Amino acid sequence: MNTTPLPKSPLITEVLLLPDGRILVHNLTPLFAALLSDLNPADEQIQPRAARIAGGQNEARKTDTTK
Amino acid sequence: MARSRVEAARAALAECHLCAHHCGVNRLAGERGLCHAGVETRVFMAQVEVSDELELIPTFAIALSGCDLRCSFCITGAESWNPQAGEPLDAVALAAKAQAALDEGARTVMILGGEPTVHLPSVLEIVAELPDDAKLVWKTNAHGSAQARELLDGLFDVWLADYKFGNDACALRLARVPNYTRIVQENLLWADEHSELIVRHLVMPGHVDCCWAQVARWLAENLPGIKANLRSGFWPGWRSARHGELRRTVAIAESESAGRIARECRLNLVR
Repeated sequence: MNTTPLPKSPLITEVLLLPDGRILVHNLTPLFAALLSDLNPADEQIQPRAARIAGGQNEARKTDTTK
Repeated sequence: MARSRVEAARAALAECHLCAHHCGVNRLAGERGLCHAGVETRVFMAQVEVSDELELIPTFAIALSGCDLRCSFCITGAESWNPQAGEPLDAVALAAKAQAALDEGARTVMILGGEPTVHLPSVLEIVAELPDDAKLVWKTNAHGSAQARELLDGLFDVWLADYKFGNDACALRLARVPNYTRIVQENLLWADEHSELIVRHLVMPGHVDCCWAQVARWLAENLPGIKANLRSGFWPGWRSARHGELRRTVAIAESESAGRIARECRLNLVR
């Protein structure tokens, strides 16, 4: 079997967009939860998860979105 | 406690019975059982996540490569079916990352796979390096052996256990695992007695009645009030296409039906 190296990015999230409008997410990171929450603040699945972002990563998201 | 068990767990690899397949191979001598795992443990993901149960997140999730099941729909199939995926485990470095995540607000540290049971010696090494007051979550397929449970006893605060299939025929066809029902039920009952337990079920397309309904009824009868997480985000990836019914996502009507079954069984659903 081949060895698969870890990707260079330290954070990984996978997303599947369905034609009926549903979004499936695997390995949801705090940063991506915040992004999804921004896109749809009324999403009951995402909102409580975005609200639990650890302080340091939340700051990183703010920095990214203001560039 | 974890450190004192590392040696015994490592020695157990000489005739491996860590999972319920009971292959009995000598992993120390290079033999491989159904999980294909050897002595080395590799990590394919270690990061803070918020996709698990609300009471557990944010969690610092450590995913170990390799698994003893062969679920065609495995969302991490490339890593779960291949214990050579990822990077070699460094327990001290991982513990340092976990500590940093806890310092930044993570509530728990979760060890998962693949299936972490097949790497119990390394799991014990990680736990030994983690701070004593860290809340630890054991994310498992609930297919471990009695020997594995004995080595794990008292180490994890929460067992987050999958109950994937409602009958042995579906388990054998979709995950190549025999005697699934008896083994997973044995593990769930044990976990409930020895730690906090949360049971997960991923609703599969076309399997609401044959699988979820059976799981729900068993939970209602045997673990009343247990926390159950009904997940509907089935992802038709990896080798799902081998099975006709798994080539699609779960229909909204199926999700609604699954929810009705949960309510009829009066399950204690968490999300």
